[in-house]
Amino acid sequence: MALQLSRREVEDLRSSLDRAIYRTIGKSDSSLLSTVSSCLTSGYERRKIIDKISSHIESKKASKLADKVLALAQELVSSAKPPKRKHDENKERDKEVKRSRHEDKHESRDEKRDRDKEELKEKKPENLIEIPPANAEGETIGSKMAGLSADKIKLMMANAQKEIEERKRTLMALKGERNVSAAAATAQQIKGQMPQSSSIPPPSVIKPVLYSKPAAVPISAEELEKQRKIAELQARIQRKLAGGALVPTGNVGPAPLILDREGRTVDTSGKRVQLTHVAPTLKANIRAKRREEFRAQLSGQVTEPVGEAAWVDERVASKPPVRVKRALRFHEPGKFTQMAERLRMKAQLEKLQNEISQIARKTGISSATKLALLSADVPDSDRVPDIEWWDSVILMTPDEREVKRKRSRLANPTDQRTETQRVEACNIGDDDIIENVNEDAITNLVEHPQQLRPPTEPLKPTYMPVFLTKKERKKLRRQSRREAWKEEQEKVRLGLEAPPEPKLRISNLMRALGTEAVQDPTAIEAKVREQIAKRQKTHQDANQARALTKEQKRDKIDRKIREDTSLGVHVAVYRVKDLFECASAKFKVEVNAKQLHMTGFVLLHRGCCVVVTEGGPKQHAKYKRLMLNRIKWEEEMVKDADGGEIPNACHLVWEGVTARRSFGDIKFKVMPTEKQARELFHKHGVEHYWDLAYSGAVLDAGSEEP
Amino acid sequence: MSDDDDVILVKKPKQVYYGSLEEQEKARLAALAAAAKEGVEDSGGKELGDIQVSGEYMELEEEMSRDKKALLEEFERRRKARQLNVSTDDDEVRRSLRQLGEPVCLFGEGPAERRVRLRDLLSYLGEDAIHKKLEEEEARIERDRGREGTWYHEGPPQLKDARLFIARYSLPRAKRRLTKARDELQLAGSIRAAAKQESQRKATAMAIYCSQIGDTRPISFCRFSSDSQMLITSSWSGLVKVWSVPDCIPLQTLKGHTCNVSAATFHPRAVLPSHWRQKIEQEKEKKEDDSIEVMDTSDEISESCQMASCAYDGSVHLWNFKSDAPLASLSGHSPRRVSRVEFHPSGRFLATTVFDNSWRLWDLHTRTEVLHQEGHAKPVYSIAFQCDGSLAVTGGMDAFGRVWDLRTGRCVMFLEGHLGPVLGADWSPAGHQLATAAADHQAKVWDIRRRAPIYTIPSHTHLLSDVRYQKSNGHFLLTSSYDKTARLWSNPAWHPLRTLSGHDNKVMSADISFDNKYIATCSYDRTFKLWAPDLA
Repeated sequence: MALQLSRREVEDLRSSLDRAIYRTIGKSDSSLLSTVSSCLTSGYERRKIIDKISSHIESKKASKLADKVLALAQELVSSAKPPKRKHDENKERDKEVKRSRHEDKHESRDEKRDRDKEELKEKKPENLIEIPPANAEGETIGSKMAGLSADKIKLMMANAQKEIEERKRTLMALKGERNVSAAAATAQQIKGQMPQSSSIPPPSVIKPVLYSKPAAVPISAEELEKQRKIAELQARIQRKLAGGALVPTGNVGPAPLILDREGRTVDTSGKRVQLTHVAPTLKANIRAKRREEFRAQLSGQVTEPVGEAAWVDERVASKPPVRVKRALRFHEPGKFTQMAERLRMKAQLEKLQNEISQIARKTGISSATKLALLSADVPDSDRVPDIEWWDSVILMTPDEREVKRKRSRLANPTDQRTETQRVEACNIGDDDIIENVNEDAITNLVEHPQQLRPPTEPLKPTYMPVFLTKKERKKLRRQSRREAWKEEQEKVRLGLEAPPEPKLRISNLMRALGTEAVQDPTAIEAKVREQIAKRQKTHQDANQARALTKEQKRDKIDRKIREDTSLGVHVAVYRVKDLFECASAKFKVEVNAKQLHMTGFVLLHRGCCVVVTEGGPKQHAKYKRLMLNRIKWEEEMVKDADGGEIPNACHLVWEGVTARRSFGDIKFKVMPTEKQARELFHKHGVEHYWDLAYSGAVLDAGSEEP
Repeated sequence: MSDDDDVILVKKPKQVYYGSLEEQEKARLAALAAAAKEGVEDSGGKELGDIQVSGEYMELEEEMSRDKKALLEEFERRRKARQLNVSTDDDEVRRSLRQLGEPVCLFGEGPAERRVRLRDLLSYLGEDAIHKKLEEEEARIERDRGREGTWYHEGPPQLKDARLFIARYSLPRAKRRLTKARDELQLAGSIRAAAKQESQRKATAMAIYCSQIGDTRPISFCRFSSDSQMLITSSWSGLVKVWSVPDCIPLQTLKGHTCNVSAATFHPRAVLPSHWRQKIEQEKEKKEDDSIEVMDTSDEISESCQMASCAYDGSVHLWNFKSDAPLASLSGHSPRRVSRVEFHPSGRFLATTVFDNSWRLWDLHTRTEVLHQEGHAKPVYSIAFQCDGSLAVTGGMDAFGRVWDLRTGRCVMFLEGHLGPVLGADWSPAGHQLATAAADHQAKVWDIRRRAPIYTIPSHTHLLSDVRYQKSNGHFLLTSSYDKTARLWSNPAWHPLRTLSGHDNKVMSADISFDNKYIATCSYDRTFKLWAPDLA
């Protein structure tokens, strides 16, 4: 047979052709590929193709390749447009049931072989799938398919089956009205297939009848039902297409286009309307769309014959394993315009803020006023008690006073006030307060309050390690080694340990072994050398065993850097004029703190950036050197309040000791307003750091102004 | 003697004859024969079946290995004993033995043997036997201390009198102070704010007024007199000097201490005597014309105590303006250092803080110690009396402060929050706030009414040596530090107002004059400086 393919189809096929070539000759050959594709485009027959190909490779392989190529071409053609051939139904059924595994790819060969086989296979049982016939296999081997792999065959078989199925459906649809019993037969056939459906390709590959012509005159109710369902399905597909990413097809007449003065689309009320823009799309997208359409139809059709069959238990979910291909996802229209809008808004807001702050600077709030403003927000203590609580302890309450008066009987008959009034008069009125002193409360007892451990004193006393001079160290080592040696000797003498073998060296070999060395010097020397190597090895092994592992080394370094801060954390507060733009300084500030295992915080505020670090004294010494010496702040020029360029600067605001850490690992935070910054520090309980740093900055700015 | 020699010198025979071996040989053979016979009998017995064959063997191997093990253990122990560190001090060895419950001394045992014995013992018991015992003991003591709590003892009878006096003195003052505060609160807020702003403005404008070399050694302390006309400085050379303010003319040199003087203060009612006033005037005139004429009109000089000073050796001297020698000394502190002396506002009592973890209250009328107050776990360093005279705050090297009620003798507030010795303390004139300065580079402000800390001022980059409130209203606070500066802080917001820098070395102390005109700082660089607002 001759197959003529279009250039585009050949292009589609190119990759599979390449693969086929690779399979046949063991390598990919571009010239061969081009030859084959030209053959396909010109629609040569098999003979001609083999001729053409054999100019590149040997004839046997050429014929094999030609077979494959034709098969591929056939596949493509059949999947694109099913050839409408009249086939005997019975034969079809036979073919499908019996030869589902060993399917050939040539249509013509298929048919021929089918006819040959029919006689042989008619007696065979229906379910041949589990036990493939030997002769079929032999036949396959006999044909030129030996080079194909098993899964390739399987694939082909599936394709062919699909083809057959779909042809069958077409036929049925066409003949539906004439041959009702045919439908029943089909049903019967499917029934026969059902038990096998677990192992064979599922019926999902059935070609839909959508594109076939609907019957002109429905005869039976069954057919009617079928028709109705088809219509319904079509409608659903239409709906799906309309709702999806596809171009909506409005079935109403076109709305009038109204433009405003600036050429924007508006509706009748004058509101702006966002039109859906239909842009030309890529070929790939169109193809994807078409595929999707096809799949939708497939999935819609599949359930139909099964659903109405009486033998199907509907409670059992027999969902065909549909492999969902990942579809292209498109951005929602208007997404990027929205994003751009947001960015623009942000920029504008920033600009506005900048302007406001510039104006504030220009008007020039002086530093003194600023400070006054800062201090004004703390209210004075506003309540004065009648009597201080510590004084009230030694003053009499009205009851006590009454008791006392009764006891002393020195009441003033002219005084008609109550005791409460008297106490009041004494405490805050005109009477002398001394009258009201409760002398019983004053004793000559001396209190010894419970003494508390000072917070800086360690729980356990620390002892100074003993440091020895070099001489002492040497002596100690000598003595201990001698002791150890003596002990070893003792052990050997008592027979607790085997005596060590004599230590042999090249230099003492003759002396130690004498005649033996003379008899076989080579062997003896080898022995001695072996001993030397062994000694060295044990030495090195001992060293190795003593050496710290990588983790231990790291731990040691870490331990050396880390300091014990349980008895007080050293804190340092630095103020930098501007840390916004200095990327390298920022990096150093952060990384050094991290490397020194310090905790802290960096607050970025226009005109006053505060760096707070917490750690031990040694860590601080290093960090202080970084901040005040190593980073050359003054080389960076920053903008001051008036916009002029001034050198950057860093001051140590405070360093001291606190009981515990207030911050976690070092973090940066930008705070636009002074209040927010203070709040942030207040959250960590150290607002005084900010107060001090900020007022220092204000004073600094004040001193620089004149 | 010669005969004896002959007897002894018998000729040695050349051969030794042991006799014939025949007999022995015979006996041996007989024994062999007997044995053979017995053997036959034995074999006969075996056949009879009454022989007992034992399957037990003496396990030589096991026995030997056990011996070996014991030996090795012994070696191990000896090695351990060798590595033990045992004190070479015999006393300590004895103590350790006693702790372990062993006889301290065996008969005829010297220090070396004792040490070896202890070492052996420890090698059996383990090295940490002594430590464990000690720890147990300590834990027990700790427990006991915890259970102990607060306790009281009866003080001298004068104490009650003193307390009654203080109560009668302080209560009317407190009443007056509160009334005044209430009246002030009636004033408009703006007036108060204006007053505050004015004084803070002055503080902001503080500048150096004069500098004077005070001594040949560091100046440790300085205080103004209550009339702001005099300044007293104490030096490590052992001299205390009185200077006129603001001219800084030396008025008096008090010689009496033999070592570093730690503090010196004026009596609350000490004012510039008239003869010194004349002296100052003369000094001023002298600058103009060199007429040397000293007029001595010491007719109406008070004999009473006007100054007090204390030193490192524990001596506390009282002085007056009449002589350069001490009027009296209060003994009982030595050899401990007395770090601060402070007069009670009534002027009748003098408080001293001593390095034996206590502070004392002396009655100057009777010249007796009325109160010996303990409570700090470490030396007490600083002390300040509240303006009423009812409370006192002490700061100790244990990083805690304590507020004492002088009438009841109770510790009414415990100031916990510093992390270094509390080296300075002062009460606000309002009477309910106090500030402490500590070696953790911070100053803290506390409210007594609420019994809570109000604010922490991270003030300096070195330890704080002193803290003072502005005397009249407490509108600002002065801190001096070893970072060579003193600083002024606004009161309610605690913002820095001014940094007084000019000293070349640590600032050891600072004070604000009562009329708010001057600030004095004294330093390790042997100078003291006066600062005044520069409102030009």
